[in-house]
Amino acid sequence: MEAVWQKIKADIISRPLISVLILVTITTSATLLTLALATLMNVSAPYDKAFEELNAAHVWLYFDRDRVGPRDITRVEALPGVVESTGLRYSAMSRVRVGDAQVWVSLRAVPTETPSVNRLLIQEGRDLEPYRAELLAGKDLDDIYRLTVGERIGITREDGKKVELPVIGLAYNPMWDTYRSSQPPYVYVSEETLRELFPDGSTWDWSMGLRLADPDAVDETVALIEETLHSDVVESHTDWRDVKESAVFGAQLNFVFLGAFGLFAVLATVLVVSSTIGSIVLSQFRQIGILKAIGFTSPQVVWLYLGQCLVLGLIGSTLGLLLGFTLSPLPLRSIAASLATPYHPPLDPSLAIMVIGAMLGVVTLASLGAAYRGARANIIQSIAVGAERPREKSFQGTELATRLSLSPTITLGLNEIFVRPFRSLVTGFNLTLGVIGIVFGLALGETLDTYKENPALLGIVYDAVVTREEASDGKMRYLLETAPGVEGFYSECLVEAETPAGQTFQVRAVEGDLEKFPFKVDQGRFFRPNTYEAIAGQGLLDWLGLEVGDDIAVTLEGKENRPITWRIVGQYPEAVNAGQMLMVSLPTVSRLVKQARPDSYLLKLSPDYDSAGLKQHLDARPSSDLNLILVEEVIPDDVLYLELAIFTLSGLLMGIALVNVFNSSLLAMQEKLRTVGILKAVGMTPAQVMTMVGVTAGFLGLLATILGTPIGMLFTSGLMNVLAAGYGFGRVSVTLRGIYIVCLVPVTILISTSGSLIPGRWAAKRSVVSVLRSE
Amino acid sequence: MDALVEITDLKKAYQTGEVTFEALKGVSLKLTTGDFVAIMGHSGSGKSTLLHLVGGLDRPTSGAVRVGEHELNEMNETALAKFRRAHVGFVFQFFNLVENLTVQANVELPALLMNKKDRKTIRKHSDELLQRLGIAVHSHKHPWELSGGEQQRVAIARALINHPTLLLADEPTGNLDSTSGEEVLNILSECHEQGQTILLVTHDPLAAARAERVLFLHDGRLAGSMAGGDAKSIAHRLTELK
Repeated sequence: MEAVWQKIKADIISRPLISVLILVTITTSATLLTLALATLMNVSAPYDKAFEELNAAHVWLYFDRDRVGPRDITRVEALPGVVESTGLRYSAMSRVRVGDAQVWVSLRAVPTETPSVNRLLIQEGRDLEPYRAELLAGKDLDDIYRLTVGERIGITREDGKKVELPVIGLAYNPMWDTYRSSQPPYVYVSEETLRELFPDGSTWDWSMGLRLADPDAVDETVALIEETLHSDVVESHTDWRDVKESAVFGAQLNFVFLGAFGLFAVLATVLVVSSTIGSIVLSQFRQIGILKAIGFTSPQVVWLYLGQCLVLGLIGSTLGLLLGFTLSPLPLRSIAASLATPYHPPLDPSLAIMVIGAMLGVVTLASLGAAYRGARANIIQSIAVGAERPREKSFQGTELATRLSLSPTITLGLNEIFVRPFRSLVTGFNLTLGVIGIVFGLALGETLDTYKENPALLGIVYDAVVTREEASDGKMRYLLETAPGVEGFYSECLVEAETPAGQTFQVRAVEGDLEKFPFKVDQGRFFRPNTYEAIAGQGLLDWLGLEVGDDIAVTLEGKENRPITWRIVGQYPEAVNAGQMLMVSLPTVSRLVKQARPDSYLLKLSPDYDSAGLKQHLDARPSSDLNLILVEEVIPDDVLYLELAIFTLSGLLMGIALVNVFNSSLLAMQEKLRTVGILKAVGMTPAQVMTMVGVTAGFLGLLATILGTPIGMLFTSGLMNVLAAGYGFGRVSVTLRGIYIVCLVPVTILISTSGSLIPGRWAAKRSVVSVLRSE
Repeated sequence: MDALVEITDLKKAYQTGEVTFEALKGVSLKLTTGDFVAIMGHSGSGKSTLLHLVGGLDRPTSGAVRVGEHELNEMNETALAKFRRAHVGFVFQFFNLVENLTVQANVELPALLMNKKDRKTIRKHSDELLQRLGIAVHSHKHPWELSGGEQQRVAIARALINHPTLLLADEPTGNLDSTSGEEVLNILSECHEQGQTILLVTHDPLAAARAERVLFLHDGRLAGSMAGGDAKSIAHRLTELK
């Protein structure tokens, strides 16, 4: 065995470039695998860490102020299963002005001394101090309006007057949930400040957070509270599991991409290792014969090649594990950043075992076939011929190339693909993986651009939104009908709906010039106004197990209203609330819910509209209660980061493919050096040798593009639709411009050919005499 | 008559680690068109090296080689490759055929490398050569399916496809049985009779006897010459070189 080990070391050291390239490939794959697994294993860890550190509440109860009293609060705190409570918390809704925008916020009183339950995480600045007129802005408000500590924001007091308070810090509340967009942004003040702004305590909203003995017993606890008190005492509640789900969604998305690319990279490693070791065996056929002649057994020959791969595999997977571990905070960045808590996943022994074990398994599988092939070599033939007998039949395409009078360099290059079909197959497949990665990146970018240019595809059919607070609906309509640049508008009112089974969601009740808006209906048709027809988001259909054509019965805005049944006549792309929304005609809602009045007006603007003129017409002065929001950016900046990450991952795959082309070409040249020597002896020029090698690689690149482009499109479409289904969005059409496909052909051929350039040059420069003499 | 090949004070040294081996120590000779010259010598005498230098496969350490109008010392790699394919036909001891090409494809390869557009003429010529050398029946076979003698005939056909100025044969019978060797020598003689200039490297007196003139190389230097024809005399002279 020592002899085998000596030879393993010698082989690795004598081919430094190839050994390093295999090592780089294994390291890259192990890194991606580590990143994917670390993300999967720790997807909720940053949230869990922050949740425990802040001793966050498991359930937050929002009480109906008219039905609850202080004794009820005490009774809730004393219920079995309730471990701790935040105590009663007061809040009031207030309109604040941040820059040009006016926004309704929940002004929440928090204790100035650190509370035991549901502490706030101060991300920037400092905490509130007693008896000081100052505020902490919620992270959610900062995300939208980019606040800075020290900035002053205007708050509307109870009497309608405005006061400006300084933002002394930014805070994260572990129980603030974006889900269903129903929670307003939070602004935190001391109780004294709240009292100064809203002196009438009877108008304050009441809420309370509870920590439970069993964190999963939220539903049971809420049911017990409703049973103990009055069923309508709790208006709504926030479940910590929903908050967590929203918080980790971004990281789950990262896992999907990393997982897909990790799988690709592992597959590419299999191909690189199998083709490289296969080529090494072929190029060392004479040496194998000599080794067997001097006493190496077949198992020892197997170990010789397997051992080389395992040594490189062990080093590569360890390096990849360490690199992946170092980079592992990146995919969890979205959660960690929102919590402002740097999170580094721990180096879990099971992660190390999985990564190293998987990579060694992959390397063993990939090299075993080639190693056995070497072990089976016939001693006499190996020593005498120095190569395996080539395939008896040449490629039909070569015959065709000859008939087409193509240059013999091209013919020989094409023939080389079919002389060693397995090697060509794995090299071609590796290139195909690279093409799939690039197509994925391009198609994703293209699709996002398409959706960005045409927001109607995302369900955003309007150009601008105007919201009202105090102004009447009639005044709004008048203003919009006479507004410059407004071609049409419809009004919208969001109402809460509840199914007989207790599932709650929001309904968009709309009315106006609906025919002027490019509503996209993926299935069925748009509803007829003033009827009991509705269209639903895919997420709602999936959630409630409904289909287009089904009826849905709900009660609106509380159980006191009688139930209403809508027929779902279509499915539309709904971009918010995980697609769990229904769109109906407003007049049908108004008949049941008297207070259902539109508060948003969605505008279609003429192409040459003047935003300044429109703002002036709508009287959007600081004192005005109208807000104009233009739809300009519907795709967040995060998408750019995602696109960049995908292109980086695609680049890695293409890099691995390049390594494979290089290794395969170099080893193929070593294997057929004698043939190159003969060809040069009969008059092949160095340029023709390089052309021949380049044709082999280039043709594989061409085949890879032909194969990889449709697979890449299918893969992108599949993955996007899986993600869209996760968002409850419905189907996504993936597009890729023809010019990209046309450009992809020369680019892939160029990449592939460039991988063969150095080996081709090396072969072209070898002395004919030295090659033929060594035979 | 002007010399077709003119070799002047040709030297070639090989460096192996710190050891320098002088394969040729100043050889000068001339060949005229239609000559059939055999070079004899013992192993390591430098005869194959001389052949490689004349064929433009290698570069001398010093001295000059001219073949026709071509000063080989002044040519780069590409020019040398074009020179070889157009003016030189090689026949090697181990045949050196391209294994994955058929017999016909092997024969046609040097002609195709010249980018000759007239494929029909190339095919016609290769058919004629295969017919002439008695291997037409094997034209669609691969080299490994042929005997050693048949493979060497394919190599000769390949060497002749471009009507070379010079046919260089390096131990063409060295890897063949006596019958096959005899047949190959007969073919070379036929070629010579048709006006082909041949430079043959061999240590077999019977092969050398086919040449018009035999040159003896010893220790990298020319050590005399004699007329071909008599194998015994050639063998005796070779023995004297030891």
